[in-house]
Amino acid sequence: MRTPIRWMLVLIAALLAAAPAYADLKVATSLTDLASVAQFVGGKHVSAQSLCRGYEDPHFVPAKPSLMKAIQHADVFVSVGLELDAGWLPLVLPGSRNPKIQPGAKGFVDASEGVDVLEKPTGTVSRAEGDIHPLGNPHYYADPKNLEVVADHLAEVFSRLDAANAADYAGNAKAFKERMEASLEKWEKQMAPYKGAPIVTYHTNFVYFANRFGLKLFGSVEAKPGIPPTPRHIAELAAAMKQAGARVVLYQPYYSAEASRQLAGKAGGVAVAIATEAGGLPGTDDVFSKFDVLVSSVAKALSGKSGGSQ
Amino acid sequence: MSLRTFACLIAAVMCVPTLATAQTRSMFSNLANPSIGMNALFSGQAAHNLDQPYGLHFDEAEISLLSVVDPYWTFVSNIVFVGDGSVDPEEIWVRNTSIPGIQLKLGKIRGMFGKHGMLHTHAFPFIQAPVIMVNTIGEEGFKDAGMEAAWLTPLPWFAELTGGVYEGIDADDDHPLDFGSTRHDNIPFLGHIKNQFDLNDATTLELGGSFLQGRGSDEFVHSALGADVTFRNVPPKDSNRRGWILQGEYIQKGSRAGGTYVKEQHGGYASFQYRLSQVWWAGVRGEQARESFTDFLVDDVGTPIPGKVTRGNANIQWMPSEFSFVRFEYSHAKADNGAGIQPTDDRFMVQMSYTIGYHPAHAY
Repeated sequence: MRTPIRWMLVLIAALLAAAPAYADLKVATSLTDLASVAQFVGGKHVSAQSLCRGYEDPHFVPAKPSLMKAIQHADVFVSVGLELDAGWLPLVLPGSRNPKIQPGAKGFVDASEGVDVLEKPTGTVSRAEGDIHPLGNPHYYADPKNLEVVADHLAEVFSRLDAANAADYAGNAKAFKERMEASLEKWEKQMAPYKGAPIVTYHTNFVYFANRFGLKLFGSVEAKPGIPPTPRHIAELAAAMKQAGARVVLYQPYYSAEASRQLAGKAGGVAVAIATEAGGLPGTDDVFSKFDVLVSSVAKALSGKSGGSQ
Repeated sequence: MSLRTFACLIAAVMCVPTLATAQTRSMFSNLANPSIGMNALFSGQAAHNLDQPYGLHFDEAEISLLSVVDPYWTFVSNIVFVGDGSVDPEEIWVRNTSIPGIQLKLGKIRGMFGKHGMLHTHAFPFIQAPVIMVNTIGEEGFKDAGMEAAWLTPLPWFAELTGGVYEGIDADDDHPLDFGSTRHDNIPFLGHIKNQFDLNDATTLELGGSFLQGRGSDEFVHSALGADVTFRNVPPKDSNRRGWILQGEYIQKGSRAGGTYVKEQHGGYASFQYRLSQVWWAGVRGEQARESFTDFLVDDVGTPIPGKVTRGNANIQWMPSEFSFVRFEYSHAKADNGAGIQPTDDRFMVQMSYTIGYHPAHAY
């Protein structure tokens, strides 16, 4: 009897000793897009999860203690940066009691580093302009090109933390960028007929997409960033849209469909639900499918064949 | 000396002021300044039975400074300028998150007791704090100098155990608990457990328990214990427009002399807050506190006397942005001292809150 028990103990010890070799880098992110890029770059060596769901407003994620628990053992935390997650991350990160991912530690990543940031305020920053982002517009993940910058950044971080698999991370990042470039060519073709077309968005989180595909941002459903629309604002914007021929209103699933539809109705246009974050709508599970659906939705709306609501 | 050498010397001398200016700028850089925020709170009250003037009242202004000290510590402070002209260093502490699983706090801290006791005044869900708060651990919770360690346990859900030790201090208006014994073995201590469960995508359940004990200036052991339960709903697609909070809390204060525990003030509240839209909240609360003092339960000469206080509050709040709100509240209360004094109290209140600069997010 003693021999089998001894063998069993040896086997258990061997399994325990071997476990670290299979351990993934546990990566947590602010946004689903960042988790998606992290998963592509990390491949089999990484398990990535986002704290904010794709259909949740990234400005207003409740800082639930369960989020702290979720990142208690994370090796890497990828923040979207530019203060988009400033309303909840300062509670969640220290609450995790995980020294590896606190700002300044090797496992903390500000994904906005290296991104060409748009709408950086010049002059005085005042909340009279609404809930503005003083470091610039943080919704850079709506431009496919910026996700390539994030991929390179993450490959570098993963390689530093897990040097043994550095070649895999570099290779995965390269493959990600190649696929993104090929996809971008396809999306640009889809959007080409609509260069200069005016669009209205619920919040000012579409500037990177508009820049990439040559759309003109005509206005926002919100009176000012973070400030809900007033009937007067809706009426004035609708009148201006009619005059300018702007007929497409885009809104994320976490914004008021009612206000967007009301505006579109008054302007004689359509309101279309879009996902700017992966997982925001069905069929947008990763960043590629997100852009597939997003580009198709916007192109369809601008073509006048949208299934959006008036 | 050649002409070239002379020219170089002149050029070097002329550069000195430039270098000095650059150095001065560097020496007085403001890039490492702390994040600074300020909140101001005003209120008005109309209560016909109270001998108090009507009108708008300045309650307090709170200045928050927050910054990283070095790779090991983060500094947090809230200094409150009170309406009566006094200054209260309400919270001044440092936090360390370098120890895996543990969060360490040192300084003047708000002890981890209960749920309502963790809230800053401008984050109270109702204008009036529950009566039981001011009668047990303090209207704004238990605040004292000390040290706390909060351990996030390895259990599969969020389960946090906190232990704390504090300075022994006498009872006063802010600290109803008497921990003022000068005995060297008087080290007031706290134990707290907090559990949080995600019931589904939108709703969470939080269960908490707290215990606080120390020795008083009367040399008796004084203590407080509390239990709280909170259901909170924040629909992910409407996190900035919808939601509700159902919360209840019970607190009991007591003392022990010669092995006999004497229950003193005790009671609790249950409240329900509902978010009607991005800018509107409404709430109702019912509460009861026994053996407790309140401003309208007084004897013939106006001295507060203890009794059973029952109160109901209803309010509505307009919050045009994250940084300001106006709240209207009505409360009806009755008290009974058990000896024939049974006053009632009705109040209409208004409260305004304004925040500028950096303001850290409130706990969930």
